[in-house]
Amino acid sequence: MVKDFSEKKFGKLIQRTLLAGVFLSLFFFFLGFVFRLTGSAAAEGLLRTGVLLLAITPSARVTMLVYGYCRTKEYHLALAAFTVLSLLLVSALI
Amino acid sequence: MFDLNFLNFSLLAFLGFFIGILGSVLGVGGGVFIVPLLVLALGVPIHQAIAVSLVAIVATSSAVASVNVERGLANMRLGVALEVPTALGSIIGALAASRLSSNLIYLLFSIMLAAVSISMFLKGRRSLRRAASVHFQAAAGGAGGALDSSFFDPSTGSYTSYRVKNMAPASFVSFFAGGLSGLLGIGGGVIQVPVMNLLCGVPFKAAAATSNFLIGVSAAASVFIYLRKGYLIPDLAAVIVIGVLFGSFAGIHILYKARSEKIQIAFSAFMFVVAVKMFMTAF
Repeated sequence: MVKDFSEKKFGKLIQRTLLAGVFLSLFFFFLGFVFRLTGSAAAEGLLRTGVLLLAITPSARVTMLVYGYCRTKEYHLALAAFTVLSLLLVSALI
Repeated sequence: MFDLNFLNFSLLAFLGFFIGILGSVLGVGGGVFIVPLLVLALGVPIHQAIAVSLVAIVATSSAVASVNVERGLANMRLGVALEVPTALGSIIGALAASRLSSNLIYLLFSIMLAAVSISMFLKGRRSLRRAASVHFQAAAGGAGGALDSSFFDPSTGSYTSYRVKNMAPASFVSFFAGGLSGLLGIGGGVIQVPVMNLLCGVPFKAAAATSNFLIGVSAAASVFIYLRKGYLIPDLAAVIVIGVLFGSFAGIHILYKARSEKIQIAFSAFMFVVAVKMFMTAF
C-alpha cells in the first residue's frame, strides 16, 4: 500500500518539528556544559533552557497535529489533539 | 549528593547511550532503567531521579518518533487518540507523586518493575505468529476504521496492514499508564505497547513505534509539574539526555530490522533483579 502524498507531507512536518526541538535543546545543553567548564554563571540558565525546550517539543508537535488534521479535515482528530494541547497547558500552569 | 566531574559525565553519557538503545528497541522510554540507575548507583533522591527520567523520555520519544513517523511505522491517529487519556493520567500521577514519600515510591516502582519484567519474559516467549498482524481486508461496500493503518516491515519485506479495535478499554488502560508515568518517571510504554499489541490488534513494531510517539506527551505533562516543584537537576538531566538521544538514534535502526522478542527475554531477567533491589531499598 503506497502512502498518499499528503500523508507523507504530514509525516515530514511532524518529523521536522520533533527534530527541531531535539537539536535546539542539544545545542543549549552543549553550550551549557562549555560555560560550565569555564565556570560561568550562565551555565545553569543555558541548561535549564535546554530542558525547557525539550519539554515543549511535544507541545509543538501536538500543535502541528492540530494544524495538520484541520487541513486534512479530520476534525475529530484535530479536536483530540487540541484537547491534548490544552492538557499540556494545564500541566504547565498548575 | 551528585557531583558532575569528567568521569561521571562520561559514565552517565555512556549509560544513557545504552539505555537509549534499549528504550527504542523495546518500545519503552527508558525510565524503567534510568530511575533505578540514578537511585541505586548514584544515590539521587527518587523525586529528582523521576524528574530526570521524564526529561530523558521526552527526548527519546521525540527522537525515535521523528524517524518512525516519517517511515510510517508510528500510527499518529491512534497515538493522538490515546494521548488524551494518557496525558490526563500523567498529570494526576505527577501531582500524586509530589505528595507521596520516597519509600512508598520505591515500593511502587519495584512492584511495577517486577510486573514489567515478568510480562516482558512471557511476551518474548510467546510465538511470533501470535504477535503477527492481521491483514486488513475491506468488507464489500464498507470502509476500515479511522485509526487503521499499514507499514512496510523490512524484516518480512512486505507491507503489513492492521485494524485497530477495542479503543474504549485501551483508553482506560492508557489513562492508567499515564498515571504510572507521572508517578514513577516511566514512559508508560511498558503498558502502552502490550495494550496496542494485544488489545488493539496492532503489530508489535507498530505498537512500539506508536508508543514511542505518544509517551513524549505524557512525560512532558509530568515534566512541567516536576519543574515547577523544583525537582529537576539540569546538569544531570542534560548529560543523561545526551547519552539517551544518541542511543535512541542507534536503536531505531535495530528496531527496524531486528526481532525484538529475543531482546525482551534477555532483559527481563535483569529487570527483575533490579526490581528486587528497589524493593529492598524501600525498607
